[in-house]
Amino acid sequence: MKIKVCAGSNCTLLGSMNILDQIDDLKDIISEDADNYSDEILEVEVIKCLGYCKNTNKKVAPVVVIDEEPMFNATSQAVMEKIVNKIRKQN
Amino acid sequence: MKESYVDLINIRRQIFAKIAKIAYDGTDLSELEKASFEILPGEVATYRESIFRERAIVEERLRLTMGLNARKPTEYNRVTDGIAEVDVAETQFIEPLINVIPHACEACPTKAFYVTDNCRKCLAHPCTNVCPVNAVSIGKNRAVIDHGKCIKCGRCKETCPYSAIVQYDRPCAAACGVNAIESDHLGRAKINSDKCVSCGNCIIQCPFGAISDKSQIYQLIKAIKANDHMYAIIAPSFIGQFGPLASPAQIFEGIKQLGFKDVVEVSLGADITTIHEAKEFLEKVPNKIPYMGTSCCNSWTLMVKKLFPDQFEYISDSASPMVETAKYIKAKDPQAKVTFIGPCISKKLEALREDVKDYIHFVITFEELMGMFVAKGIELSEIEVSKEIEDASALGRGYAIATGVAEAVKKTALAIDPSKDINVECASSLHECVKLMRAAKAGKKNGYLLEGMACQGGCIAGPGTLASFNRVRKAVTEFKNQAKVESPLDNSIIDENLRNV
Repeated sequence: MKIKVCAGSNCTLLGSMNILDQIDDLKDIISEDADNYSDEILEVEVIKCLGYCKNTNKKVAPVVVIDEEPMFNATSQAVMEKIVNKIRKQN
Repeated sequence: MKESYVDLINIRRQIFAKIAKIAYDGTDLSELEKASFEILPGEVATYRESIFRERAIVEERLRLTMGLNARKPTEYNRVTDGIAEVDVAETQFIEPLINVIPHACEACPTKAFYVTDNCRKCLAHPCTNVCPVNAVSIGKNRAVIDHGKCIKCGRCKETCPYSAIVQYDRPCAAACGVNAIESDHLGRAKINSDKCVSCGNCIIQCPFGAISDKSQIYQLIKAIKANDHMYAIIAPSFIGQFGPLASPAQIFEGIKQLGFKDVVEVSLGADITTIHEAKEFLEKVPNKIPYMGTSCCNSWTLMVKKLFPDQFEYISDSASPMVETAKYIKAKDPQAKVTFIGPCISKKLEALREDVKDYIHFVITFEELMGMFVAKGIELSEIEVSKEIEDASALGRGYAIATGVAEAVKKTALAIDPSKDINVECASSLHECVKLMRAAKAGKKNGYLLEGMACQGGCIAGPGTLASFNRVRKAVTEFKNQAKVESPLDNSIIDENLRNV
């Protein structure tokens, strides 16, 4: 799974580093529980500003993109839930 | 600011960006009357029970960020009342620095022990047996604590096999190492300014965001627009604060794009302070003074001054790294106006001191700086840079992490006089600092070099930071290892006379 976390100025101001820290912690939870989670690798990439916030008047930061799908006003809980749902074994 | 308090950070930092934008654009300050509607639009509350209360609190934050006091809930005032006083291009400090926003405070109860549903009303009931004042009895459904008798020793909590007894405290009061948090007539937090040393830990910890310091960003930006001799100096903990992609050189260049003429690492001043303190220690301890405390943390020195006045003379008289860095700039450009950018709120007070005010003209935090970058639309990671930052030694760059100051002073003192035996003790967090000073006062630390820092883990845990402790510690350590020289004594930027021993 490819997770991109924006580290542009707006996103950094509004807490994107916290999202990164939380994803790092989540990696530990996932790696310790092989029964429930697939061994898919979480590729976390810190990216430059994608320009979403500059093309709109709406609040969008922080921006996180999971497998090419952008999440606006991302919170760490929403991001982690999405990751966990994607990586959890189905049965 | 505590990174997991996401919503609070959001509001707090949006306001920094807002005020910075108003200042850069030169917007008429009457616009502040409606700013809370722009920050919190609509009619549905997000954070509290009502949008009106949310906006009222945002308005107080706008005022504090402008440098004004929060309004009294009992008096009629508009958001912009008194604004002319702070609409200036210099620091306009209105006491106090640390403020409780009265209608944001939820009047949390003060420290107490409570019995929870976990209680099984067990036969052994050790909670009653260990209580030194007979305050615990077994009630109808569970153990009961008589709060009138309880002396809050916590023995019942320790002994309970079901973890059924919890200690409850106001986060602000628990964070305060000098017991400065009291209550007003409605039970809301009130800061006793005689005790407060402005470390800012209550600001970090309050889960309602009810405590805030005042900012100088508006006045700073006005000054930047009017003056060509504005210099920024940035504290050693800056590495990693502005996102993982922003390199130190890009951060420096970004600061210049804000309108500063030049930027210097405060670690350079740390190098100078180190040499002064090392020489001072060798000269004075133990013949003239029994021990020596470091001088760079303003809240630590304020605490000693307030709680241990008879020991204050044992704190080093060397100027802090902030002041030394500013002196270095002043020597090159006598017209220089210097802005300190750091993780620290207490420096805002240090800058007002008689012996400091001619060197330091503004103090802002990393959070406030980030607000300025956003207001100016600066993307640090996209700035092209060529040269590296090389102002300081590895030891100077280590000041940001607890034990780093003592390490630097000790190593430098030993380089000057290898025969000397130097004992070091470090305290980080105001609680620990107070304990350390008690021991020192009792004569248990004679011959020691004592390092005190008010924030737990050092400056990298300061109230004005953006990135988490671990993230910054890693980044600062890496930057430290990249320094071209190890010791301040080898830093060729520093005057040779000072380095000669």
